[in-house]
Amino acid sequence: MNLHLNHTRKDSAAAGTSEVVATVLALLEEGHLEPAQFARLQIHLDWLQYKQNFREAVMVMRRDREQDGGNSPMEIRVDSRQVAPGALRGLLQTAMSPAGSESEAAGRIYLEDSRSFRTSIAWEFNRLYWQRLRDWERETGKSYEQALPGGKSDGRQLEAISDSVCDFWTLLKDLESQNQLPQEVFVLEIGVGMGARAGLWLDRFCALDQERGTKYYPRVRFLLGDYSLATLEYSRPAVKNHLDICSFIALDALDPIKTLSFLRHKILHVHSTNMYDNLPDEEVVWRDNRIYWIQVRAYLPPADAARISKACEVPVADIPKTINRLLEVGAEALPDRAKGMTFWMEVWHALRTEERLVDSVDMPDASFPAGLSSAHMEDILRNAPGDLRFHLSSGALESFRNTLPLLHPRGYLQVQDIFVTDLNEYCMGFHGPGKLDGSIVNWVNGALLREVAERAGYDLHFAPFHYRQGSKTSVLYTTRRE
Amino acid sequence: MTLPILPTTMVGSYSMPGWLERLKTDYFARRISRHDLDEIHDAAVRSAIKDQEMAGLDIVTDGELRRDNMIDYFIERLPGVQIDRSSKKFYYDFYDSEVLGKIPMAALGLAEDFRFLLANTEREAKICITGPHSLCKRVRNKHYPTEEALAMDMARVMNMELKELVKAGAKFIQIDEPYYSGFPEDISWGVGVLNTLVEGVNARIAVHICYGNRYGKPSWEGSYRYLFPRILDAKVHQLSLEFARRGGEDLELFREFKPAFELGVGVIDVKDNAIETPDIVAERIRKTMKVVPAEKLFIMPDCGLFHLARDIAFAKLRAMVEGTKIIRKELGK
Repeated sequence: MNLHLNHTRKDSAAAGTSEVVATVLALLEEGHLEPAQFARLQIHLDWLQYKQNFREAVMVMRRDREQDGGNSPMEIRVDSRQVAPGALRGLLQTAMSPAGSESEAAGRIYLEDSRSFRTSIAWEFNRLYWQRLRDWERETGKSYEQALPGGKSDGRQLEAISDSVCDFWTLLKDLESQNQLPQEVFVLEIGVGMGARAGLWLDRFCALDQERGTKYYPRVRFLLGDYSLATLEYSRPAVKNHLDICSFIALDALDPIKTLSFLRHKILHVHSTNMYDNLPDEEVVWRDNRIYWIQVRAYLPPADAARISKACEVPVADIPKTINRLLEVGAEALPDRAKGMTFWMEVWHALRTEERLVDSVDMPDASFPAGLSSAHMEDILRNAPGDLRFHLSSGALESFRNTLPLLHPRGYLQVQDIFVTDLNEYCMGFHGPGKLDGSIVNWVNGALLREVAERAGYDLHFAPFHYRQGSKTSVLYTTRRE
Repeated sequence: MTLPILPTTMVGSYSMPGWLERLKTDYFARRISRHDLDEIHDAAVRSAIKDQEMAGLDIVTDGELRRDNMIDYFIERLPGVQIDRSSKKFYYDFYDSEVLGKIPMAALGLAEDFRFLLANTEREAKICITGPHSLCKRVRNKHYPTEEALAMDMARVMNMELKELVKAGAKFIQIDEPYYSGFPEDISWGVGVLNTLVEGVNARIAVHICYGNRYGKPSWEGSYRYLFPRILDAKVHQLSLEFARRGGEDLELFREFKPAFELGVGVIDVKDNAIETPDIVAERIRKTMKVVPAEKLFIMPDCGLFHLARDIAFAKLRAMVEGTKIIRKELGK
């Protein structure tokens, strides 16, 4: 048996390493586990940092097809945090029994076929959350920012904004000294939220410009970009003192250049906060010098389905189509709107995903995000740990690649987010997907972003966000690669 | 061979295939031999020549596919330049290099690559050389008192090589000096270096000046106004400038200063995957002809096609040729 300890927590774990080992050895001794099964058992011990997530406490990682005459490894993943005291033995025994996967699946309400996580229905819930944020906030009685780990967005941190403004002012001064200051100075914020950061940034920039008498402010063209027109409308009051230099642009965060192609090579500063971690993503596994894609299948556990059915007066058999209706029209999917909100929140909290591994040779049409070829990926992974599960950060990579062409030759991109900056980190902790209020959160694979950036002519740097103690966010910034 | 009016040509590089990038990097990682890489380069260059012929270009290049980038191919050949060969992670990276002493006169061996080009095409052929100003910006100067002195010595060595190229049959030579645009204040001495480079070289000389194409993006922004009037002293036949991406505003400089040069006009944006239509190309040529007569125009992309996918690069060249044909027809030629 191979045991993979994928976290470094010494405390708080309900199921410790020794408990898992002792339980498996006991099952072997008692004859509940065949020696041949034991020999090919791979147990991954995780510690899911998000209390709300898509995993069962113990899950079997299925395989698309058995290789080597059925002798391929049997992979079981245990969420040490979620396992209730005393429950591990039963859960492991069920998972390892020959009929384990069938019995486990009995009664599950499946909401989709197996697919890449980036196309999972889970992201439809994420979209619904942002489109109908006010409904969710009214129901929970707190704003989405209050649901963040720090209780508010790091994007509003005044000291950080002040430093950002200073850096930008210095760039403008340098350009001016070289007679290269453009007549119009374009700044873009992608994913503006309530516009708080944009407003604070502009206030500070205006003040600094006046203090230093440089007259850059009138040249600034500040673009507030968001995919939701409603959000853009909410952001207007935050920049009310700067409306003459602000434009509100509905754009797809995955493809900013599509909307802003007229500003190709013209924007001097692009910024986003906590946006990459909420873009569609998927995971792959690097094992035995091969790449495996992880496919997911969303479902509701039977007990949850029964509970939701009773609470919302929706027959269990009708739950899938009611969910589809919910994703189209929101809480009005049910005749009683209050029950509609309950249905939304309960389904979201109960939503789980099965996982299966598919060998990349069986998915010839699967492709890596633009900027990454399979050959490139193999180069990157040549020195990575031998058994590595990691995020492709497809959405973040796509957004990143489609933002770089907007940058002026001296321009730079700053992204404040949660990043994995070294592939080894994936062996030492869980990095999503998790549920944050009604949305999905995934750490962003900064190591891959760095590789893609280098091929696109930029070096990437990650600076810890030191303005708030305990913050897990970092600031990614680009510098031009010579 | 007589060239038609509005001759079409490349600025230099052709699309770099992904597989060739990988093999070049494999070479640096010592996974394939120099001999294998040379054979791979020969095959890739033949393919690039064929694509240009099929696109209908009048003057072809070798696509510069043997080169890692516009600097290292020359720096490696310049005697006296010390190179840290471990300084590349990816083949396209620049070597770290420095000059510790006076650069001695020596052959650079460029003629061999040009002979290969000539042997594989019936079309007119052009070779492109990175100029001393751009080269000296990428080398740490630990010997010469000024950058100008370093560039001037590079020019003397390279002048001998240009004459070797003429002996090998080169009739069209293009000097690439994009770093002028990054360091406009250098133009005062840069033209003198350029004149030393081309002195006594019996070929049609063009100087290509763009705003950079490193990683397929511009390195600088600005106006070509910085070139004037100093560039009028350059002893070259042609200026090759980028206009497709930047628009034609700077064409007015040709009206204002009336240079005697031919103009190699960039009509294809090499930093955008969108493929121009022949009509767009034709319109760009018409706009240029309002300032520079057709007899003094060469038609080309803004810069090398290195960073474009092959199908896009080829389609852009085809559009350029078809657009030029529209104008030739309008001119009755």
